[in-house]
Formats: sequence, structure tokens, C-alpha cells
Amino acid sequence: MDIDVKNLHPLEVKLLRHVSPGEDITAERIVGELGYKVGQCNQAFSWLSAKGCIEESSRAKRTIYELTDVGRSQKEDGMAPERIFAFLRENGAHTMPEIAEALSLEKSDVGSAFGLLSSKGTLCLNSERKAEAVSGSLPSEVIIQRSLLDKAAAEGGSLDEASLSGDERKAIAALAKKRGASSSPFRIVEREDVVYHLTAEGEAARKALLEANITGEELGVLTPAMIQSGAWKSGTFRPYGINAPTSRLIPGRRNAYSEYLQWVKDKLISLGFEEFDGPLVENEFWNGDALFMPQFHSARDIHDVYYVKDPVHCREIEEPWLSQVSATHENGWKTGSRGWGYSFDHEFTRRQVLRSQGTVLSAHQLTKAKVPGKYFGVVRCFRYDQVDATHGADFYQTEGIVLGKDVNLKNLLGLLKMFAEEIAGAEEVKYVPGYFPFTEPSIEVHIKHPVLGWFELGGSGIFRPEVTEPLGIDVPVLAWGLGIDRMALMHLGLNDLRELFTPDIENVRTRRGN
Amino acid sequence: MPKIEVPENIFYSLLGQRMSDEELVDIFPVAKAELDGHDTENHILKIELNDTNRPDLWSAAGVARALKCYMTGEIPYYDFFSTKDDERPSDGRIVIDDESAIGIRDYSIGFAARGKEVDDELLVNLIQSQEKLCTNFGRKRRTIAMGIYRSELIKYPVHYAAVDPDATKFVPLGMTEELSLREICEKHPKGREYGHIVSSFPRFPYLYDDNGDTLSFPPVINSARIGAVEVGDSEFFIEVSGPILDDLLLTVSILSCDMADMGFEILPVKCRFAKDTPYGREITVPYYFQKPIAASLDLIHGKLGEDLTGDDCIAALKRMGVYAIEDGGMVYADVPEYRNDFLHGVDLVEDVMIGHGLMNFEPVMPHDFTIGRLSPVEEFSRKVKGILVGLGFQEMMYNYLGSKREYIDNMHLTGDEAVFIANPMSENYEVIRPSVLPCLLESESVSGHAVYPHSIFEIGKVTVKDAADNSGTRTKDSLGFFSSDAAIGYNDAASYMNTLMYFLRKEYSLSEVKEDPRFIPGRCAYIVYKGEIAGIFGEVHPQVLESWGCSMPAIMAEIDLDKLMM
Repeated sequence: MDIDVKNLHPLEVKLLRHVSPGEDITAERIVGELGYKVGQCNQAFSWLSAKGCIEESSRAKRTIYELTDVGRSQKEDGMAPERIFAFLRENGAHTMPEIAEALSLEKSDVGSAFGLLSSKGTLCLNSERKAEAVSGSLPSEVIIQRSLLDKAAAEGGSLDEASLSGDERKAIAALAKKRGASSSPFRIVEREDVVYHLTAEGEAARKALLEANITGEELGVLTPAMIQSGAWKSGTFRPYGINAPTSRLIPGRRNAYSEYLQWVKDKLISLGFEEFDGPLVENEFWNGDALFMPQFHSARDIHDVYYVKDPVHCREIEEPWLSQVSATHENGWKTGSRGWGYSFDHEFTRRQVLRSQGTVLSAHQLTKAKVPGKYFGVVRCFRYDQVDATHGADFYQTEGIVLGKDVNLKNLLGLLKMFAEEIAGAEEVKYVPGYFPFTEPSIEVHIKHPVLGWFELGGSGIFRPEVTEPLGIDVPVLAWGLGIDRMALMHLGLNDLRELFTPDIENVRTRRGN
Repeated sequence: MPKIEVPENIFYSLLGQRMSDEELVDIFPVAKAELDGHDTENHILKIELNDTNRPDLWSAAGVARALKCYMTGEIPYYDFFSTKDDERPSDGRIVIDDESAIGIRDYSIGFAARGKEVDDELLVNLIQSQEKLCTNFGRKRRTIAMGIYRSELIKYPVHYAAVDPDATKFVPLGMTEELSLREICEKHPKGREYGHIVSSFPRFPYLYDDNGDTLSFPPVINSARIGAVEVGDSEFFIEVSGPILDDLLLTVSILSCDMADMGFEILPVKCRFAKDTPYGREITVPYYFQKPIAASLDLIHGKLGEDLTGDDCIAALKRMGVYAIEDGGMVYADVPEYRNDFLHGVDLVEDVMIGHGLMNFEPVMPHDFTIGRLSPVEEFSRKVKGILVGLGFQEMMYNYLGSKREYIDNMHLTGDEAVFIANPMSENYEVIRPSVLPCLLESESVSGHAVYPHSIFEIGKVTVKDAADNSGTRTKDSLGFFSSDAAIGYNDAASYMNTLMYFLRKEYSLSEVKEDPRFIPGRCAYIVYKGEIAGIFGEVHPQVLESWGCSMPAIMAEIDLDKLMM
């Protein structure tokens, strides 16, 4: 493992700089010599072991007896037997309650201390049922206990079992508890002593630290106080590990699909197109009649369009469009067409439907369009289809028109080429004759996409005079539609149209465009 | 789009040559066709036809004819068509339409063919053509139904009448017992499929020969004897019935040309109508009924942007099988027998375009200068989105169709203002959303695994009833936002709203909400803008959260952007 010493923590740095190859490295030593807290020391050991800078040489278990608070006060104030013995020697015989009262001891403590001392012949009860001292010295048990207390206090509050004699071990075992030691003078602590040594890796790191003159005293977090006091000027900043794992942030974000549509809109704006928009509820007139689709056309069947339940019909269709369109269907009106030759149904035309094709808005736009003019819309449409990976109940269509006195087929091809290159990033473009009820001629554009290969980018054509003239337009109108869903899916790395409108928050949060 | 499956052999022999798949892919566009697949194991070509107004192309013969014509520049000649002034001999073959059928299914016409034994492939191919024409062009037999019969069993004249559906009985194809016409509608699979076309009439259409033997019950089923064509037969009578004479004449023309291309001899039949038609009371079928079509060179130049000469146009049209002449700046064309799609001069222009070759037109950019512009609502929406994203919200996008349960019941609303679909495909898609809020709640209900807080929004369209509008509905541009977290409440919602409105420079006030089951009473408010209620926000009522299966407290808001833009 190659260690970047800049990434080492100050605790690691100082430890590495302090030790030499071949030396034993123990917690005791580091705590003592570097002034680490035990916790800091253990952290440094565990980090450095993980990095392979130090290795365990040995590991040994030992038992430590630590003075408790009770033990400390017994050391200072004396143990109950000591105090009772001293009291009686000084003040003569007293009853048990008198002793307890005078020494502020619990009666039970006095009782058990008396029991111990009397069994060893140090005290006894006289004829007045008072305790009195009959020996000049305390029994050996008490003396050993006292010596243990003193020794422990002298050695910083704890005793290593290994340093005790056989008698001492026996005595301290009687005084110590592992758990619930609050009333005992000693607590038993099992401790593991681990001895480490520097590895070759560690030695390399140590040398690198010395070379780079990294001391571990570098500045860490920059605080307002450091700036205000100027304290930072007298130190150097500790470099941070730039490859440390990052935490996950959840930003406010645009939806990736919506951003893609926005990109398409911006492209079209840059090409001189003005955006149109419209309501979701349409009527048969605008949804089909105005586009010169005969009312008996198979695409206008109940199984192809969603009907509105209520109101079933709109109140009226605007004039003069209604008269002009219906006459065009029946006999061609003034358009030079022979028309479809059927009797136009004026009730059917008012029936309300959900917009089934984006071209509907192009038809609406004709009634208010400027010449020359370029218009587009990215509009939601509804189709009567079984919902699956390639069909949504509702979806976006991208459609538009170009009006101009002299626009013609060659301009249409030019426009399609521009879309293919600018919006789809096409490598090659191919045009083939197509069919749409409302355009003549009709052209499909196929493109070779660098990722998707050949596919149909869109349909287009020149609106039939039967569409434009009844809506008050006497110049040619190029109409086009682009199937950008496939490119959107590719852009988002998806293959199911339903995913574009997923309600799953986590999914949308993590989705990225290409 | 119609799709057909054609045995290779039939197709290549009609085409007069074998062609590789690559060659077919290249040439197919002139017939607006696509090679959809090639089953090399069973030797079947799958072809998709894109022109729904060219039923003549929906058969192997039709596609082959168009391609052959394009490649050779030779227009096929069919000698069996009669015109008003030039009748072909019908040799006693007559169909007589009775006036009883008028108003029910006005016409039946037919022709005969002979001279070629049909084998399996040919029979299947013939039936496929019949099905395509009757289903796609004939609107599932409503306007065109066709029967093919064994001509040698027929005694002319053939009679077409509307008859008593209970008294008239015969053995239908596919069955062994005699059924009345009404029983056929109930019991025969074809009766159940197509019986509805005529079953509301007191009398049903019926076709029989001069011996009284049944040919068929149009548009439902043939008889089991005369109407049972089999492999090995070589003499046929083909009959079509329907309410629109031109559609029937075109269908007969297409089928007779197809059969002639396959090697049959076409035998004309005299058809006598029960009422006046534009072609008189009696015509001989196949009958050429199309009128010539014309386009000026100016129109052609204007549409195509290329100054083609009269000769260029004539040559191009010839490749499309259209005979034309040019005179005084006008191109006059005779419409091929099997086509009736020339409504306007522009239809001729398209044929000139295809015949001339689309690759011969150079793409040129339109040179008019126009200013690009976003819609006002798109521009405003982008501002709103920017602010909400800055406030930590994730933009969402949803479908606009959903169920009553989601959009109405789960919101504890009555749904009075929602716009329902009359013919929903399933109850999952039966309402246009009246609000963005149920969509946001749906997100919450499926996103328990996502890290909180959940702060989401959408700007999109919603539709509600509106008596003031011509449509009785109104589509609104709506902003909805929603946030859920362990500690969130009215003040958070009010703060978001305040921040948003501040940066949009919209002065607003709040007014008390009397009752709205979506919000906790007393912890929601209306946004009043220019004296009108433009939105609502507050703490989501736990009854709504419960209905959606959510357990995190939440706030939500919805604003009508159209009102805010006023």
C-alpha cells in the first residue's frame, strides 16, 4: 500500500514521528510520552494498523484492580475496623450504637467490623455489653488491606495483579468486584496489553513525514476565531485527503425529461420558431375536420379517440371556419378539390375529445398565424392505446408549421435536414414519401443516429389546400412532427416510455441526462 | 397501417423478377411500402403499407404493379373496363339489386373471373386481399363486404334484396345445418362479429341466384355450397356490397386488376340498380368511373420548388402508372383504374414528386426571417421552476390521465369539477387530472424508501369543468408543490409561498379556507391575487395521507399560473 502521508491524521503523524523501528509501541508508552488520551491512542493504533504502518508483536491479558471512590475515601479516612479500633483505644469502651453515632458509620458496618476484630481477638464485649480493645494491634488481614489501599493510591489508583504477593492477591480478591463495585474499595478490570512495532511501510511513512516536514501540529478546521485572531498566520494548514468518501447530498433539481424537452424548445426557438399551446379538451372539428380527415376516417373511430363524458358537445364551432371546413369536406368549397363527397355531420363535429394529435394546435394556429411565420408546440396528446413500454395513455408530440409565400418541398427537406442535424445529431438523412391525411405531398424523414442507428425521426408535408384555405391561409404551409421520445429515452438511458412519467422520487432524483 | 404477408413466389412472379431484400428496401418507398420482415424459412415477405388512402397497394399484386411500373415506365393496360359509352360484353351475367335493400345496404355489384386454378398460396393471398379491403378500406365491412363464389354453380341473374331475417334460411359456410339470417347473427362466429351492421333493420341483405340458391348473407357470411371456394377451383364470381357506390366500384377495379395480373381472365357482369346513380341505372362492371385530374405547371413548380418541364412531369407520372399530357401549362392526367385518391391537383403533384425521385430534390433552407419565442406560460414556468429548485424541490412529471380513486376518492373530494372520459380503456385512465396534488401524493405513496424530506413539484396542465367556456371545461397551467418530513407544518408552507411570490414580484394576500377536506382545518389558506383566489396551501389532512398510505406529515400547495400571470 502506497501511503499519501498528507492524508494522515495528526494523531498518526505524531505517533509515527515519535517511534523508531524495532521499538515496542504500547498504549502506556504513547499515553505517557505523547500525552495522548487512551481513546486517542487506540484510534491512532487502529488507523495505523489498517494502513499497515504498525503491526502487533504480542498481546497479553492482565487483571488490574482499580481503586473505587469507596476505596479512595477508605484510604484517606480509614477502613471501618481501623477507625473503630482507634476510637476504642482512645476513648475506652462504648456500645455499638455509640460507636456508630460517634464515627458516623452504618450500624451494620460497625457490626461486621466488630465481628471481624473480635474473631481475631482484637476486640471483645465487656460485662456492660460495651466493646473494648483487648489487643494493641490490628489483625494481619486489616493490615494487608491497608497496605493494598496505600500501594494502589501510590501507584496512580490501580494495582496489577502480577505485582502482588500471594497473600495480597487473596486479600484483594476479597475486596474487589467485577461489577457493581460501588460499595467495594476495588474494581476488577481485565485489560489486554498489545505491543506493536513499526512495519517497513510505517518506516517509509515515517521517513516521508520527516522529509515533508509534516509535524502533526498543522492547523485543522479553520475557525472564525482563528481568522479574527490571526492565529492561522503562525501555522501551516494540514492538507486533507482529497479522495475521502463524500456524503450524499440531495439537491433541488429539474426533472431530466423536462430539461430535455426544454432543450428541444430552445433549439427550435433558436431556429426562429414561436411556441404555441392549447387546451387538452378539443372537439372533433379541430381534432379532425379542420385537418381534412373525413368524419368516417378510421382514425376517428371510438376505439382511437377518448371522448369527454360531460359536456359531450361544445356549444359552437367558430365561424367562418365551420362553414368553410364543412363545405370543403362536402364538395371542396373554393379550394379546387372535389372534397370527400359526403354530408358533413354538424353534431359530430361538436363532440368533445381529448386532443389526439399535436397537429390540432397547428390547425388552430393557422387562424391566427402571421406570414411569414414559424410555429411549434411540444404538446401532450392522448391516444386510445393499451399502455405498455412503447405506448403511453398520454405523451408529448413535437409539431410545427412554417408559413411563407414561397415555401416548397425543397424548403421542407431543408427544414428536416436542419432538425435531423441540430436536434437529433444525425449522421445521415434519408427522405421517403409518406402519407398523412392532411398533407400532400407527405415526407417521412429517416435518420442515422450515432447510437440508435436508422430510425424514423418524423413525418412532414405541405398542408393540403383543403386544410389551409378554409382556415384563411392562402400561402403554402409546411407541417412537421418529430418523434423525439426515442431520443429522450436514449438521452435518459431508459427503454420504457412509462418511465418518463414515473412518480418514484428516488428514481427521478438520481436520473441523469447524457 | 395495413400489413400484408406475401408468398415470395407470388410476389416475384408478379414483379417479373427476383429482387434482394436490399433492393426491395430501396425501391419500396415509391409505393410508400416498407419491408417489415422476410421469413426465409416459410418464404414469406412481410410488407407494411403506409398510405391508408391507397387500398390498391394493400396486396402483393398492387405493390408489384407499382414497383414494376416505376422500374419499367410502362403503364399496364386492362381491357375489361367498361365506361358509360363503351360496354364490354357481359354474356348474360347480371346482378339485379332490388329496391328493398335501399336504406339498408344499397348496392351489390360483381364480376367474374376464370382461367386459373387456385392453389393454396393463391387462395390464401386472395382471401388476404379481400380481408384488407373489407377491414381497412371497408371499415370492418360496414361500407364494403366481399364474397367470392363458385361461378359454375350460379344461374344468372343473381338477385340482391333485403328479406325477412326469420323466414330466410340457408346453411352458412362453416356449419352443416340450416339457420335463419337472424339465427346466423346469434350463433355463427361471423354473425356475432358482423351481424350488428344490419341487425337493427327489419329486413336483412340477401344474395341468391335465379334458382333461388343462396350465395350469401352480406355482409356476414357466404353459403356453404356456392360460397365455398376451394383449392382447385378455377371459375369465380366476386361480389361486393355496401352503401357507397364509388367505394364498391373501386374495390371491384382493384380486385379485378389484381386477378388479371395473376393471370385470370376477367368477365364483366351487368349490374342493374334499384335507384338512380351518377352512372345511370345499369352499368357493366368492372367500370371506369374516375374523372381526369389536372394540375398547372405553376402549382407543380410552386409546391416542389423545381421548374420541371411538362415532359419531366409526364415522364414522372408514367413511372407512377399515371397517363398524362401537358397542354398550355396544364398537366392533365387519367386516373388509373385502380385508384381514386386524386382529390386535388396537389395529389398529382405528389405523384410527380415520387416519380421524379425524391433524391433529385435538393434540401434548401427557408429564407424568411422569423423571431423565435417561447409561449408566455413556458417563460413564466421557467422562472417558477428556478425558484423552487433553489428552495430544494425536485421537479416531477406525471401522466395526465388517472383513476377516480387517485384523483378524487383519495383526495376526499366529490369530483364535481373533474372531466371524465366517456369511453375509458380501463378505470386506471378514466379522468383527466383536475389538480396536480394527487400526482404529488402518488409520488409520496410510492417513495417511502427515498431519503426525507421529500420536496417535489410539478408545473403542468390540469382540466376542470367551467360552464363559462365554449367547451364547458378549462385547461389550466398549474403549479403544485409538496413537502413531507417528520417536522413540517403550516409555517413551512407559508414561508415557501412567501419566498416564491416575493421573487416572482407578486403581491398577494391570504384568506381563510372554510372547508377543504384535503387540508387540516385552520391550517390552510387561499392565495388571493388581484382580488381572485389563485391558489391554496396548507398542511395535508391526515385522512388524505391515510388514504394514500402515507405516514409522514406533509404540506402542499397548488397555484393557477394563468391567474398569476394576469
